[in-house]
Amino acid sequence: MSELKRTQLYDVHVAAGATMVDFGGWEMPIKYPTDIVAEHLYTRHFCSLFDVSHMGRILVEGPECVAFLQHVLSSNVQALDLNQAQYAIIPTETGGAVDDAYLYRFEADRYLLVVNAANTDKDLAHLNEQIRAFDAKMTVITGDYAAIAVQGPKSKELLMILSGGEQITEPVKNALNTLSFEGHKVRVAKTGYTGEPIGYEVYIDSASAAWLWNRLVELGAKPAGLGARDTLRLEAGMPLYGHELGTDPDGKEIPVFAVSLARFAVSFSEQKGDFVGRAALAEQYAAFQRVMNRDFSDLSVLPRRIRPIALLGRGVMRAGMSIYRGEEKIGYVTSGTMVPYYTHEGEGLETVILEQSAMRAIGLAYIASDVLDEDRVEVDVRGRRVAAVIPPYHLRADAPPYARPILYAPDEEEAAAPAADRRPAALELLQKAAENHAWRQGRCVNLIPSEMTPSRAVRILSMSDPSFRYAEHKKVKSFYDADVFYYQGTKFIDQVERLLVEEMKDYLGCSEVETRVVSGQMSNMAVFSALMDFKNRLDRKHDMKRLGYVLNNHIIKGGHLSAQPMGALHDYIAIDPVTERHAVVNFPVCKDNIYKIDVEETKKVIDQYRPELIIFGKSMVLHREPVAAIRQFVDQEKIPTTIMYDMAHVLGLIGDHFQKPFQEGAEIVTGSTHKTFFGSQRGVIGVNYKKADLKYGLWETIESRAFPGSVSNHHLGTQLGLLMAAYEMNQYKDQYQKAVVENAKSFAKSLKAAGLEVAGDPAIGYTETHQVIVSVGYGAGPEVAERLERNNIVVNYQATPDEEGFTASGALRMGVNEMTRFGFDAAAFEELAGLMADCVLRGREVGEEVAKLRGRYQEMRYCFSDGEAEAALERLAKATGV
Amino acid sequence: MNFPAELQYSKSHEWVKMLDDATALVGITDFAQSELGDLVFINLPAEGDTVTKEEAFCDVESVKAVSDVMSPVTGVVAEVNEALLDAPEKLNEAPYEAWIAKISDITDREELLDAAAYEAFIAQQ
Repeated sequence: MSELKRTQLYDVHVAAGATMVDFGGWEMPIKYPTDIVAEHLYTRHFCSLFDVSHMGRILVEGPECVAFLQHVLSSNVQALDLNQAQYAIIPTETGGAVDDAYLYRFEADRYLLVVNAANTDKDLAHLNEQIRAFDAKMTVITGDYAAIAVQGPKSKELLMILSGGEQITEPVKNALNTLSFEGHKVRVAKTGYTGEPIGYEVYIDSASAAWLWNRLVELGAKPAGLGARDTLRLEAGMPLYGHELGTDPDGKEIPVFAVSLARFAVSFSEQKGDFVGRAALAEQYAAFQRVMNRDFSDLSVLPRRIRPIALLGRGVMRAGMSIYRGEEKIGYVTSGTMVPYYTHEGEGLETVILEQSAMRAIGLAYIASDVLDEDRVEVDVRGRRVAAVIPPYHLRADAPPYARPILYAPDEEEAAAPAADRRPAALELLQKAAENHAWRQGRCVNLIPSEMTPSRAVRILSMSDPSFRYAEHKKVKSFYDADVFYYQGTKFIDQVERLLVEEMKDYLGCSEVETRVVSGQMSNMAVFSALMDFKNRLDRKHDMKRLGYVLNNHIIKGGHLSAQPMGALHDYIAIDPVTERHAVVNFPVCKDNIYKIDVEETKKVIDQYRPELIIFGKSMVLHREPVAAIRQFVDQEKIPTTIMYDMAHVLGLIGDHFQKPFQEGAEIVTGSTHKTFFGSQRGVIGVNYKKADLKYGLWETIESRAFPGSVSNHHLGTQLGLLMAAYEMNQYKDQYQKAVVENAKSFAKSLKAAGLEVAGDPAIGYTETHQVIVSVGYGAGPEVAERLERNNIVVNYQATPDEEGFTASGALRMGVNEMTRFGFDAAAFEELAGLMADCVLRGREVGEEVAKLRGRYQEMRYCFSDGEAEAALERLAKATGV
Repeated sequence: MNFPAELQYSKSHEWVKMLDDATALVGITDFAQSELGDLVFINLPAEGDTVTKEEAFCDVESVKAVSDVMSPVTGVVAEVNEALLDAPEKLNEAPYEAWIAKISDITDREELLDAAAYEAFIAQQ
């Protein structure tokens, strides 16, 4: 084996007792004495190290390096931002794969292409042919840096010990970063080949490779060999060149679109232009779309696809075994073995991963394109026909920090039909509703920042007669914009709505208000729809152009769901033809305070992207939004845009103690009326356009996108309730808002003093809003929130800006608004902070003490409660029978 | 590595425990299991199968590969260790307890080694 190449870590592997084999001309560890099954499992539950220094690494640079890469890769290289990586295929002219690769952009003008070790020479020969036409050059730097994959749920925690607490990368797939591990410069990618949601690949100087490896082993990571790397990638459904990519056993090229993952790596962007294999890939794409629409009439271009396969009977699948549907041979296994998994119990977020492991026989198969998910097939296991199924996937990584095995289970039968006599169920419902109400209102400390208990007056009004009725109305130009109602019996609600509009104008400080929208999300949808309609108003003969660019807060940085492409923006946001992604750009945040927008950096982003819409507002919000500074900037630079503030969470804080959006220069404010505001659950839209303004037309469009655009029945009862809430707010806002902000600061301080880790800037008392955020440890949020609920404290677990998603949440998000309304003051919040610390840090059961504390604060404040008001309320209650 | 004295061994790394002149338990040796690595599946012979010395009578699978297990004797499969179907890892954990098959009506056997000879044979490998 003397001619085999060795990585920088060869001696480390040998010293650890690894079994070394020839892998693509490299002498590599196939396994360590722990063996493959244990290495696989350790990756899934803790953290494993893989030496991937054998992978070919090619540095591409030069004036035309992007054009070159666009020509030889399937992906859209121009869409690759700095500090991002992308998966790509190196296509053949005929639409197959020379290799698959990862492209990294650690530096603005240099690209790092990582290819399979065994293919490096072949890839270079192909690329060298192609590069002649470009002013670009390639340098092989495989030997200059070691590459170590650090994969598994604990990988972030371990690496953060080495980085001294600095975040490793942004918490999203394919993010890159350059940082220092205990004085050693490293480049890190949030990528991997294991299917782990938390996993990194670290590049380090060859001389420091052994240091990093041994240091991570010291911290608890364990080495894993190529054997486990293969079973992990197989379970994750990732293709391996030579099995799922390249050529099949008959020597025929496997089309790139046969591989689900590979197809995401293909771009037909206009900017990309022609590239190697484009015509063949375009033909495959058309065939792929037919197959996905279950049109199997012409499978000539894409006769087979790579799919997961799971054996139902006994045995083990191996590459090359034939697959049958009845007597018809429909393909063969491309990769297969037994892989281990941890068993689990419980459902949903309560799922507990057990120590007990089991094995399953799974694989990937290259089979007829007309096979559907869940179809049964048979595998010829060395002469025996064994039943198998085509599941949609073997593993999911969308509930971090763990990758979760998905075991095939046929759909269970429908639940038993309900009993014919519904009376017992009806009685039980009444009983349970009463219990729930008594708990939430009598014994429970409610700290969900987006919730509020409305006053008794608001509740009774919301249930009184106009509820359940209709009052559609629309302004008619022929009648000088008078509102015309479609039904009779609506004079009372007409008056209520007019009064509500006036109260809300006064409260928001603007010229026009729409109150028919029944939620904050609907408010945003009506506004986005109106903005798009207004943009296209002079051309009704073509499809409407969508909005773009839009500047908003990233959801991970606390951005509100209803201002995201996955939320209310969904149908209104354009796709940028260059990046082929949503035309959304995010507010940069301060380096030393990730909860705060960085105004100077934002100005640069605005200058670069010229967003047509700027959306302020967050759901995880500790600071005022810099509306005035951005207004001043866009006015001064004459950048045409619309500034909107989605005040969902902070609608009830508008005023002297927080901020006044319209005074600061917002044009549109949307919000929900039941978070910090006192209302029934509805939405509201305010704008500050005057009749003479060009954008007054936008306001009229917003009205028509509310009705008939969004609602026909606009929930008249809660609209009536909201009028009372607006009276209460306008009467008491000064005291209420002052108390909320003071209580939030004081609660934060008490939590900190009690030993909990409070997020935010201590210099401003951690928060300028109603919210307080407490870190409870990576991934611990859901469990701690559940424990607090058992102890009568209702909070909401939340991913912080450093975390991957809600299942990995390490924080609690709390609001003091509802309890402030019940009279909680600094002393009450201090007592609560102590009980929470006892429960969270020491696991003490505090439920009864919490209930007693809550029992002392039962009376609603900031509403009309004098004798006369009480008497009128009693008369209403009697009249309505509520 | 463990070589119980009461067993006999084949050069293809099976062990034989003679129960009487014509009946034996057969399994794989500690050396065999350590070479194969984690065993994840065993394809057992059927009761009543005739087996022939130095011919494959069963196979075991590790994560990476399938390996034949050779019969050290000629005879008839009287019983198989079905517990191994659900727990093939027993072949790794306790190879001399994890017998694969009981062979009866033994008419012939290959030249088997005693523990010391097998240990010496391994040492040369």
